[in-house]
Amino acid sequence: MQIYTVAQVVRYLKELIEADRILSSLWVEGEVSNLSRSAAGHLYFTLKDTESQIRCVMFRGQLAASSSIVPSNGMAVIVHGRLSVYEPQGVYQLYVDLIQPEGVGLLQLQFERLRAQLEREGFFDPARKRPLPRFPQRIGVVTSLGGAVVHDIINVISRRFPATELVIAPCAVQGPDAAQEICDALQALNCSDLVDVIILARGGGSTEELWPFNEEIVARAIFGSRVPVIAGIGHETDFTIADLVADCRAPTPSAAAELAVPHQQECRLRIDAARRSLQRLASGFVESNRSRVARLVELMERASPSKLIDERRQRLDDLVRQAALRARHTLDLREERLQSAGRQLASLNPVSILRRGYSVCVHEATGQVVKSVQQVAENDYLKIRVFDGTLRGKVVEP
Amino acid sequence: MVDAEMSFEEAFDRLEATVRQLENGDLTIEEAVALYEQGMALAQLCQQRLDAAELRISRLALSSDGYYEKVPLDESLSEL
Repeated sequence: MQIYTVAQVVRYLKELIEADRILSSLWVEGEVSNLSRSAAGHLYFTLKDTESQIRCVMFRGQLAASSSIVPSNGMAVIVHGRLSVYEPQGVYQLYVDLIQPEGVGLLQLQFERLRAQLEREGFFDPARKRPLPRFPQRIGVVTSLGGAVVHDIINVISRRFPATELVIAPCAVQGPDAAQEICDALQALNCSDLVDVIILARGGGSTEELWPFNEEIVARAIFGSRVPVIAGIGHETDFTIADLVADCRAPTPSAAAELAVPHQQECRLRIDAARRSLQRLASGFVESNRSRVARLVELMERASPSKLIDERRQRLDDLVRQAALRARHTLDLREERLQSAGRQLASLNPVSILRRGYSVCVHEATGQVVKSVQQVAENDYLKIRVFDGTLRGKVVEP
Repeated sequence: MVDAEMSFEEAFDRLEATVRQLENGDLTIEEAVALYEQGMALAQLCQQRLDAAELRISRLALSSDGYYEKVPLDESLSEL
């Protein structure tokens, strides 16, 4: 016989409950009552029906992450959670991770639950989404071969950018086997190491038909794909879990193909623009270099020794010429003065004075030149010199 | 310098990088001429890739020795 402690018993009960498969993940419908919110933000309430009731708790983190509604007392709801025991109080509780209003379809419920869970796990984190290659060399396509989708994708890519390659990994896209086949196809493309990007595509359909793309294994396969995935599923308004996990979401398969490749026309325009730039820049280079060279040549010529010598030579010539001019000028001046002096001299020449009619009187006895009447007396003899000879005279009257 | 095996992406990127290098200036005339020629050759390569292109389509299959390979897409596809 064994005597247990209270703690042991309660713990045992907890382990028993947590080990149960059904109790670890179940949906429960009922009416909300005794709703309260703790200071920390956790939700406490009782879920009841006409016969019984069960305690529930929903932690603030779960409430925030999921698209749960915050219920009010009396509201009919469907919750999802797991059963466990709160040991300190020895009570069992439903630990709720999703609350939806009653009337929401089962599929919707599953969708919401998985969405909340994957979001908590970081599957939708924008930071995790990989950039798509700009010019993929090979594009993987996961879709069904029996349908318009594969043709649409081929047409779009042929038109936009045929300089690439498509590798199709066919699979079912609806029905019970589809989810697994989609996973296998994604995995195969990853293992092949052949493709740079994957398009996951499926045409429009009902929620049930699109359901494989809401399955957890498909979400995990997309998340785990090393190659970036573009999802193009259904129509514009269809949003599946696959759309949320993919690296890029397109409203339709054709739109997904458009995202995968650039348009070749845009590429051609950029190539032409590059060519024009190259030509413009290269000739710009040549031109600026040409004028640089021309200027340098000019500078060199100005500074060249032979030019210098020529210049000096020219200056020398100039100086010589100027010197000669000056010399001549001086000579001319001198000659001029000489001639002028000569003329002056000539005019002062006593002989030419005599020629003009003047005569020189000399007193014969004294030999003095007579300059005044005082110097002579009557009967003095004079020698009178005229131009062409000498006369002897006698003073008759002083 | 311009490898005929170069991928379109690499050729395209290098073409635009060559233009940027020429724009930066600070090059000798020999360098400028060399870049010009390289750029024109890359442009030519890109152009040819686009002009000659025809979309190749294949299907992924698992070979007998466990490797993934490309096989021709089923002819019946064209009838759908």
